[in-house]
Amino acid sequence: MSAMLRLLLRVLGLWRARRGWLLAGAVVAGLAALAGIALLALAGRGVSEGLQNSALTAGAVGSLLLLRPLILVRPLARYLERLVTHSATFRALTDTRIWFFRRLAERLPAGLGLRGAGDLLGRIVSDVEALDGLYLRALVPGAAAVAVVLALAVMLGAAGPGLAAVVALPLAAALLLPPLLAPAAGRAAARVAEAQGQLRVAAVDPLLGLEDTLAANGEARATDRLMRAGDALAQQQKALARRAAWSGASGLVLSQAALFGALGYGLAGGEGAVAGSVLGLFLALGAGEVLAAVPRAGTALAAASAGARRLFEAADTAPPVPEPAVPVAPPTGHAVRVEGVHFSWAPDRAPVFNGLSLELPEGGRLALLGPSGSGKSTLATLLLKLAAPQEGRITLGGTDLASLSGAAVRSRIACLTQDARLFDDSIAANLRLADPAATDAALWQALERAGVAEVVRALPEGLQTGCGEGGARFSGGQGRRLALARALLAPAALLILDEPAGGLDPLAERAFLETLESATQGRSVILITHRLLGVEKPTRILRLVGGRAIPAMG
Amino acid sequence: MSQPLSAEAARARALLSATARQGRGKMARPVLLGLASIACGLAQAWFMAHLLATLLGHGASGWPDLMAAAALALLGIGLGVAQERAQADAGAAARAGLRRRAFARLLALGPADPRPAGERAALVVDRIEALDGYFARWLPAAILAAAGPLLIAVAVASEDPLSGVILFAAGALVPVGMAITGIGAALASRRQFDALQALSGRFLDRMRGLPQIVLFGRQDSEARALGAAADELRGRTMRVLRVAFLSGLSLEVIAAAVLGCLAWRHGNLLVGGHPDPQAALFCLLMVPGFFAPLRAFSAAYHERMAANGAAAALAPLLAEENAETGLLLAEMPPSVVVTFEHVGLTYDPSRGPALRDLSFRVLPGEALVLAGASGAGKSSVLRLLMGFARPDSGRIAFNGRDATSLRPSELRRLSAYVGQKAHLFRDSIRNNIALARPEATDAEILAAARAAHVTDFADALPQGLDTQVGEGGYGLSGGQAQRVAMARAFLRNAPLVLLDEPTAHLDPGTEAELLDSLRRLCAGRTAIIATHSPALRARFSRVLEMADGRASVARMAGE
Repeated sequence: MSAMLRLLLRVLGLWRARRGWLLAGAVVAGLAALAGIALLALAGRGVSEGLQNSALTAGAVGSLLLLRPLILVRPLARYLERLVTHSATFRALTDTRIWFFRRLAERLPAGLGLRGAGDLLGRIVSDVEALDGLYLRALVPGAAAVAVVLALAVMLGAAGPGLAAVVALPLAAALLLPPLLAPAAGRAAARVAEAQGQLRVAAVDPLLGLEDTLAANGEARATDRLMRAGDALAQQQKALARRAAWSGASGLVLSQAALFGALGYGLAGGEGAVAGSVLGLFLALGAGEVLAAVPRAGTALAAASAGARRLFEAADTAPPVPEPAVPVAPPTGHAVRVEGVHFSWAPDRAPVFNGLSLELPEGGRLALLGPSGSGKSTLATLLLKLAAPQEGRITLGGTDLASLSGAAVRSRIACLTQDARLFDDSIAANLRLADPAATDAALWQALERAGVAEVVRALPEGLQTGCGEGGARFSGGQGRRLALARALLAPAALLILDEPAGGLDPLAERAFLETLESATQGRSVILITHRLLGVEKPTRILRLVGGRAIPAMG
Repeated sequence: MSQPLSAEAARARALLSATARQGRGKMARPVLLGLASIACGLAQAWFMAHLLATLLGHGASGWPDLMAAAALALLGIGLGVAQERAQADAGAAARAGLRRRAFARLLALGPADPRPAGERAALVVDRIEALDGYFARWLPAAILAAAGPLLIAVAVASEDPLSGVILFAAGALVPVGMAITGIGAALASRRQFDALQALSGRFLDRMRGLPQIVLFGRQDSEARALGAAADELRGRTMRVLRVAFLSGLSLEVIAAAVLGCLAWRHGNLLVGGHPDPQAALFCLLMVPGFFAPLRAFSAAYHERMAANGAAAALAPLLAEENAETGLLLAEMPPSVVVTFEHVGLTYDPSRGPALRDLSFRVLPGEALVLAGASGAGKSSVLRLLMGFARPDSGRIAFNGRDATSLRPSELRRLSAYVGQKAHLFRDSIRNNIALARPEATDAEILAAARAAHVTDFADALPQGLDTQVGEGGYGLSGGQAQRVAMARAFLRNAPLVLLDEPTAHLDPGTEAELLDSLRRLCAGRTAIIATHSPALRARFSRVLEMADGRASVARMAGE
């Protein structure tokens, strides 16, 4: 319970900036509910007073006259309530999405890794959206119901405390249902969310690796897995629906109890109790409508907290490299020194580096060779401050990377990673990721240097051509060169190129590597590659062996 | 989208009603239970009207009536719970059927489908989940909204005809108000769903490329762009809701007006002393009950619009649904002769043909190396052989028989294929290899892993072949992932071996080791290998140089 409360309070904290909208929605909802109660109470009183006195009394006429404006006020208030509360929810949810994106950029910069893109998509879209239930289906109906129960207690209390007790107490008890039922509903909702995530993974996985799934004739297995995940989800949804139905039923039992309480009060109390009893009956009837939504608020609370738990779990992953409390000013130079670095990805994994040391002066070009798995790409990760060495230190321009902010390091060092992804956006937008202010001329220059300008020029839409998901619009080699153009465009002093010519045919590879010197224009370059063709003109060649760098011949 | 909206909407509606017809048995139960629950409510109100009249000095009922009314209330609540359960069952059954069909279509479309995986997954997850409301809530609510109020109006009319008429009139007005407001909302709903899908596609795309965004320090501007996209979505959604809520507004106005009319009518009767006070009270008490099914309908109306939007996206996919055509293999041939005769292939007319007039023949025991610059059409040859694409002209024959007459899935049974961007699933290395042949024994998997030099690095991992890899091979280097993909081809044990850049991402040492086992893989089989690697070309005798979609030079080693 307290865990759930903490989660929900943290969600509300994220929504702090939108409290004006959120409060306005709750207030309008309360007013709309009160208008509804007043409508029914006045109609009931008018008729019953008339019946009791067998004539149209002044009181009855008054009640019926008051009815007329309420007939219009009540629907309008309901309409306004829905608009305001939904608008408030969307604003709050946008804030949550952006917060989550920023957090992941900070906490999981090296990629999705074992978490899986499908699962993350599920987290963002469904879990963020489950949070709307917290406000729309729990807080707003809760506010309306509290307003109604309070109004009822006051009005009936004036007629007689006994009446207030038999009518308002069951209704007040209904208010307690959501927090009482929420924890169990929460567990059921967590199982639904889990099953939903599994279903999404079962759908995304075979589609992401569709070629491989088809090549293995795995259609039937993929379908079975999807249908099993769908069945599991349906079972969990049914369990949740059953729970919601029973909590709805318990709410109905309580509001019926209020109704019968009012009738019983009249039957037992004789003549004097009649007026109050009739008023209580109609008020209970009206309140029943408002309170009908309340027991289900428990389900909504639970669903929201389950969504929140998963969101925060992903968002609270520890950052791989803690930022320094007070980052020092970025150095002016960009010479790199790696001194006695020891590193392994996990304590139970074999170490990648065992006292690695190397040096790269400004403007130097270092070729780093070694078999796959020897840690070439890991060195890039360390230099980019996406991981930190367990021992030893790395300096940039004489300043320890540990005392620089990650953003400052990455603004000085650009990297073409092996899995550099193109986004489902135009070529221009993909390139400007590296330098948003770049002119079209600069983009063409980068494309030219990467040897892909001709391809782009031949496209009818030129720079505005969409790349498709992961660059699907282009062949592997073309996509690689576009990613290379992006890295070349980055205004960084040091360029790390991890297998820049991977996926290029030998002619193109040679052509590209020959122009490497002019393309990189006096910047420092670390070229990570399996082998040298002899045209790269590195100033230094190192081979990674056994976690150390040893000088090598090309 | 290019289709006129009315035809699109008609197809969506046809899909929904056809699915509803198939599940008629399950759909009827919630309606019957709902009607029974309404009947309980009527009986309860009758008892309560008499009790109330007694309180007001007209009649003589007492505690037994109160007990009867309470019992009826409990029975009604119980029937309501049963109704909800029946609804959930009906929705789940309908979704399962549609999900199976939609996924089968996506698999049949294959890698040729240009939509991002996230968008396609949304079709079988979100869009089908969005249909739940239609079957579980809207359909029963729509029937109950017609039958329930009718039942109540008749009951009220039998007590006081004029009150009955007022209810009839109101009941008739409700659908009119909803229809007027509903048309605009249905259009807007479609646009909102498009926006939602674009947003979720954008999130997946950006999340998968998160490292690039961080490397270039663009997380702030990307967050702002995502915020702008979400704001735009809010704008669209609010436009939908402004109209959608109008149907709720019209219902509320009518409900309030009815209450006013009835109160006024029975108030006026009082001037001369009300002839039947029980009837007056019964009419008033039934007002909330009369509107309850209509309210449920109004709430569910929103679901129908959402469902229509989702169904409109699914309908084109399911419209082309047909039983898989093509022949089945009578038996698995032990060897395959592959013949290309004047084969042409064009993906997109604006980008020119990918293959033109390509002819070659590969015999069992031969390996044909396809060489040439990127975009020369090497991968297209492999795609045709895998049935991912169909030739536009010419003929592809396996053992002299037209290969395109085979069902694509049968075609693939003949081949072991490793694509250029082989995908590793989030699973253990062992299961990633076993994908190629799930019935393989552990010994066979181990042999394949050894042949592809997977064991070279896997043995050093604490969990060996059972080490988990992340989606897309996270945790393994590019070369290691490539070797896992190659192990699949070894395990597959098919007469035809199709490899696209099998040694990309490998250092020369590993490449040389893998080439040895590659030769073993190709021995006795028909192999076609697309590659840039000079080392690989040097190992195999037949090389087909490709340029611009056709063969430029074919050469035999030693020529």
